[in-house]
Amino acid sequence: MNLSRNRIVTVLLASLVLASCRGGAPGPSGNAAPAQNEAAANVNLRIVTDDLGRSISVPVKVTRVVSTAPSVTESIFAVGAGDRLVGVTTFCNYPEEAKSIAKIGDTMTPNMESIVALKPDIVFVSTASQIESFSKTLEQNGIAVYVTNPASLDGVYHNLEQFGIIFNTTKVSTELIDALRTREWRIGQTLGTPMQRDELPANFYARVGAIKTFVQISKEPLFTIGKGSFLSDIIESAAGLSVTATVESAFPKLSKETALALTPEVIILSDSLDNQEPNEVFKNSPAVKNGRVYKINADLISRPGPRIVDALEQIAKYLHPEKFPD
Amino acid sequence: MVALLGVVLTVAAMLGAESVSFFEMTEQQRSILFDIRLPRILLGACVGASLAVAGAGLQSLLRNPLAEPYLLGVSNGAALGTMLAFVFVADSEFARPVMAFAGAGLATVAVYRMAQSRAGMNVERLVLSGVIVTTFLSSVIVMLTTLLDAAKLRSFTFWLLGDLSQATTNGVWISLIAVVIGTIVLTSQARALNLMMIGERDAVDFGVEVGRVRMLTFGAASLVVGAAVAASGSVGYVGLIVPHLIRLSVGSDNRLVVPLSAIAGAIFVVFADTIARTAIAPRELPVGAITALIGAPLFIYLLRKG
Repeated sequence: MNLSRNRIVTVLLASLVLASCRGGAPGPSGNAAPAQNEAAANVNLRIVTDDLGRSISVPVKVTRVVSTAPSVTESIFAVGAGDRLVGVTTFCNYPEEAKSIAKIGDTMTPNMESIVALKPDIVFVSTASQIESFSKTLEQNGIAVYVTNPASLDGVYHNLEQFGIIFNTTKVSTELIDALRTREWRIGQTLGTPMQRDELPANFYARVGAIKTFVQISKEPLFTIGKGSFLSDIIESAAGLSVTATVESAFPKLSKETALALTPEVIILSDSLDNQEPNEVFKNSPAVKNGRVYKINADLISRPGPRIVDALEQIAKYLHPEKFPD
Repeated sequence: MVALLGVVLTVAAMLGAESVSFFEMTEQQRSILFDIRLPRILLGACVGASLAVAGAGLQSLLRNPLAEPYLLGVSNGAALGTMLAFVFVADSEFARPVMAFAGAGLATVAVYRMAQSRAGMNVERLVLSGVIVTTFLSSVIVMLTTLLDAAKLRSFTFWLLGDLSQATTNGVWISLIAVVIGTIVLTSQARALNLMMIGERDAVDFGVEVGRVRMLTFGAASLVVGAAVAASGSVGYVGLIVPHLIRLSVGSDNRLVVPLSAIAGAIFVVFADTIARTAIAPRELPVGAITALIGAPLFIYLLRKG
């Protein structure tokens, strides 16, 4: 995948969006009359598809939204719609302005009453956990639920693009995605990533000199990243070989026996209180012996939002310091 | 029975997420076997034995087949103690079991006090008090996990579900010492417990010092459960199911039931943890889920049979 192709795709998508907006909203703008039939309802509503493939009707003009995840909050601010956030979680600490927005609980236990009281047009939810009952209650109250579940960098870009469409800020979102893609592309130019379409994974890892990397999410019990995690994609984009990339589930609890046998060259720690050093089982690994253990801000590494490219840059430098001399 | 334990331990040592060739062991395989697998198997054996002897002792003392460390609040007392050690005491391997023992002891005393009435010790009141203390302590634990720092407690909530993966050599020693002392104390009280099973009044008539037997049994149960919970969190059904199975096969003489429960409890947990370690390798299941999965149907079977 190269930059020019991505640009073309982005432009194509943006024009499609504009076309569909024009086609979908032929009526006079500012029409506040209540919908009387389906045709009239279409004037004020349009359909978007979320990461679970569900079709959601959202108002043409979205003015009040609630985010139940820090990654979503960061993404909404990044596409220039932060002023339309009326509720966020207690975990939402970035950007600074997010801290002063009304809190609706945390990501695991959002408070339904607080959300409904805020009268949002849409609620953004980050994963599919307990979404059934949650979305049903909200939808009964006439509130749309949009589920995000990005599994890769492209998934993050796709979310930003969708947010641009939903908030009618496609100019900002397109520029943002272009900027992020350019930064990813620069890293790719330096490291020889990404994997070419017809390339065998083994050949790819050999060509870019991939570093065997273990990402430790928590020390005890030992949690890491697996197949479904966007971080596996980030490691690959940084010319690394995530040694747990084939383990099922996104954030598996890993057998210590397996961990000991993995012998990673680099260990990346998600920097949180319970994860300040590598697990005991790595004491004889090349990573520990050569002092190649690195910490990355847990917020940066755990949120599939716009700052994930910062994490990518940092990981690329940790894995291949010789290629980033500054 | 001892032979069966030997077989289970050997088979467990041969199975794991990684294969180990016992005849030409590499440095790495040696490390996997001795640093990771064996401590975990031995800890599982200690935890299983602890929970089973505590169940056997409490069931006889309280003349209640449902008496079990979990039902009586002993385990939750230990869990709260461990949690407080986890949050407030610097990371010390000894603070956890000590606090767990204190928590288990306090919970036991509280339940026992609540159960006492002018008419003396009433078994229904005791079980009811146990349930109340258990649910109360659970709510305190949930409150604390919500209020305290999320990052530090993430590993704690996982541990609460029953997890043997955090086995350390020191942890094995602590559990082993606790379970040996606990089993010896409970076995020494076996004759008195046999008489208590007939009835407290009869026991008194036979010259049993009821108060002393009670203290020793509660103390030993708190000790072993404290060590087990501090090491592995909540592994359910062991204390309930194992003593029942032993009584079905050898009768209700506690001189046999207590030590045999220790061995059978060790077999049960090591067996369950081998499944937990290998079923979806290289990922792991919580061992508490496996013991419950095996224990619940087995208990229903015993219920219908007996």
